[in-house]
Amino acid sequence: MRKTFVVIAVMGLVAGAVALAAGPRSATAQGGGTVEVDVKYNGAPVVEKVKVNKDTEKCGTEAQIEKVVVGANKGLANAVASVAGAKGNPTAKKAVVDQHGCKFVPHVTAMTPGEIEFKNSDDILHNLHTYSTANPAINKAQPKFKKTMTEKFEKPEIVKITCDVHSWMLGWVAVMPHPFFGVTDGNGVAKIENVPAGKQKIEVWHEVLGKQEKDVDVKAGQTTKVSFEMKGK
Amino acid sequence: MRAVLATAAALALLAAPAIARAQGDANAGKAVYAVKCAGCHGPNGDGKGPAAELLLPKPRDFTSGIYKIRTTANKTPSDQDLFRIISDGMPGTSMPAWSVLPEKDRWNLVAYIKTFAGDKLKDPPKKLELPKEVASSEASIKRGKEMYEAIECHKCHGAEGRADGPSRPELKDEWGHPVAPANLTKRWNFRGGHGRTDIATRIANGVLGTPMPAFLDAVEKPEDVWHLTNFIMSLGPDSPHNATLVTVTAVTEAIPDDPAAELWKKIAPNNIPLMGQVIVDPRNFNPAIDLVSVRAVYNDKEIAFHLTWDDPSESSKGDGKTTFTDAISLQFPPQITGGTERPYFLMGDGSDAVYQLRWEQGKGVAEMAANGPTKIAPIKGGEAAGKAVYANGQYRVVMKRPLVAQGTERPTFRPAVFTPVAFQAWDGGAGEAGTKMSLTSWYYLRLEEPQSSRKFVIPPVVTLLTLAAMVLIVRAARSRATHT
Repeated sequence: MRKTFVVIAVMGLVAGAVALAAGPRSATAQGGGTVEVDVKYNGAPVVEKVKVNKDTEKCGTEAQIEKVVVGANKGLANAVASVAGAKGNPTAKKAVVDQHGCKFVPHVTAMTPGEIEFKNSDDILHNLHTYSTANPAINKAQPKFKKTMTEKFEKPEIVKITCDVHSWMLGWVAVMPHPFFGVTDGNGVAKIENVPAGKQKIEVWHEVLGKQEKDVDVKAGQTTKVSFEMKGK
Repeated sequence: MRAVLATAAALALLAAPAIARAQGDANAGKAVYAVKCAGCHGPNGDGKGPAAELLLPKPRDFTSGIYKIRTTANKTPSDQDLFRIISDGMPGTSMPAWSVLPEKDRWNLVAYIKTFAGDKLKDPPKKLELPKEVASSEASIKRGKEMYEAIECHKCHGAEGRADGPSRPELKDEWGHPVAPANLTKRWNFRGGHGRTDIATRIANGVLGTPMPAFLDAVEKPEDVWHLTNFIMSLGPDSPHNATLVTVTAVTEAIPDDPAAELWKKIAPNNIPLMGQVIVDPRNFNPAIDLVSVRAVYNDKEIAFHLTWDDPSESSKGDGKTTFTDAISLQFPPQITGGTERPYFLMGDGSDAVYQLRWEQGKGVAEMAANGPTKIAPIKGGEAAGKAVYANGQYRVVMKRPLVAQGTERPTFRPAVFTPVAFQAWDGGAGEAGTKMSLTSWYYLRLEEPQSSRKFVIPPVVTLLTLAAMVLIVRAARSRATHT
């Protein structure tokens, strides 16, 4: 037991060191800049409401499927912004998705290939059901006593996650082939750090509103702003 | 131990030819597929054959490479898994057992259907290792029940396993088709077989492409998979033990209306299988009710029928478009002649009516006369009564009426007469109403003769007479022998 602990600790340190060493160096080597992506949507939010017939003490009596979330300044939340066609090493940061209040939190997660941790903080049965083609599809039960479950997404793709026990639960995990990405916040803003300088293509993906691309000129040490206006489908 | 060794040896012997033959010829399989499989699974293997729209569950889409029944830890099923489903079919679905085909054809089909998935099945099958088997015992079943509750199997399968859990209406497969959880009390309908290992494998592995998740890593201890298996096997019998004749037991006491009354526990059930009505439009290709357990008794005044059947939702009215009222009916000829001629089983026709005892949720019991499935009218002065209870995905209904009836529309029941009887049932919550029903053809019921002391008298008398006759014959033979 103690040995395992030591091994894990050493691995953690090594991973941390590698991440520290690799991250800034690759950025400075290529002369990295920041891209601030501003995603707007002119349409109305799309929120489906479902009456809940079970687990109401955890899920509430009415569940909301937030398919299009629009902030006060028309900012579109839950969009994944990334540098199209970029290459880079996976980050050491492990993605975490919590099943909380019968929702996947966050609704959209982006990660580099590797492990992802699924938490169940609801104290009821959930099942993790993924829809994927590149990665092996998962459908595993996560009962109340199984607080965390670690899975692997090793191939880049966008994975839909659902729970069949609570059919309204919907989440997305974007597995990116490089570390240059961000997910828009409630104001529709995502920051992508350490983007290699030069001409880059920024891609925005949203689960309902689809994809858009724009060219940007990234300057080392500076923040470049780019805005998108997503169209309704 | 010796038994285990013998079993292992037998299994090895069985497995050996299977492995040897596992290399089917896909090209040869293609020809068989076109004739036997394409009707449902489609010429392109996408599950969209011409018959597919009538089927539920839908035929497998082979292009997805997603197979429900696997003994493998990964997505790729073993060839033996595919061979088995082709050979044994899938109980409770439209997939028949193709054991009528030569074994070679079936292996060729295995090879051919795998080609539809392209490289989606490129990973070699990896055998699922089940935890060490735990034999069934009272303690194991108890632990299984605890685990059933702890991991919340009831969310879909219901508190008593009758597929009536609260998540049931929401369940969809990966193609978006509605999919029902298994009724754990009827394991003969389990898609992947109902042997111990089959059940343990489904729990551990889940059913790919459906909401049923894998529980191997989601139980407290690995052997809980076997405790769950033992508990599930304790929920119902191994087979439905279908009856061929409905026996009506003679009783002397008053017959209770209450379906939960003690009397009914003493009466053996006659299990009657039901089929979808597919003769007149609208037809019912996917009947929801497949079995009714009938307990019947009579006394000097009344005859009563106690009916038990599974229905995952209590539907008292419905919206009149997609959901309707739950109902059940028993059908008899209007007069019982004891002859072989009977009205048309599908609720009679224009020339010959039938008599029905019908229970409808929210309305209770009524006596009806029918001249076909769309011409049903209540009989005036009906004397039937009864009561229903619904709990945990199951109806229990008592219908009773006087033994003797007046007029030509209602039969009088007499002991020892073979009386034609048929059954119809509707799961309104599943959209069944009118001709969309489950039904049986004619069965017979027989009121057993009232309990009398005759059975204690006649057999001994017959025995004595036979003995006397034998003695006489022996004596006669002996005397003849001494004379010659």
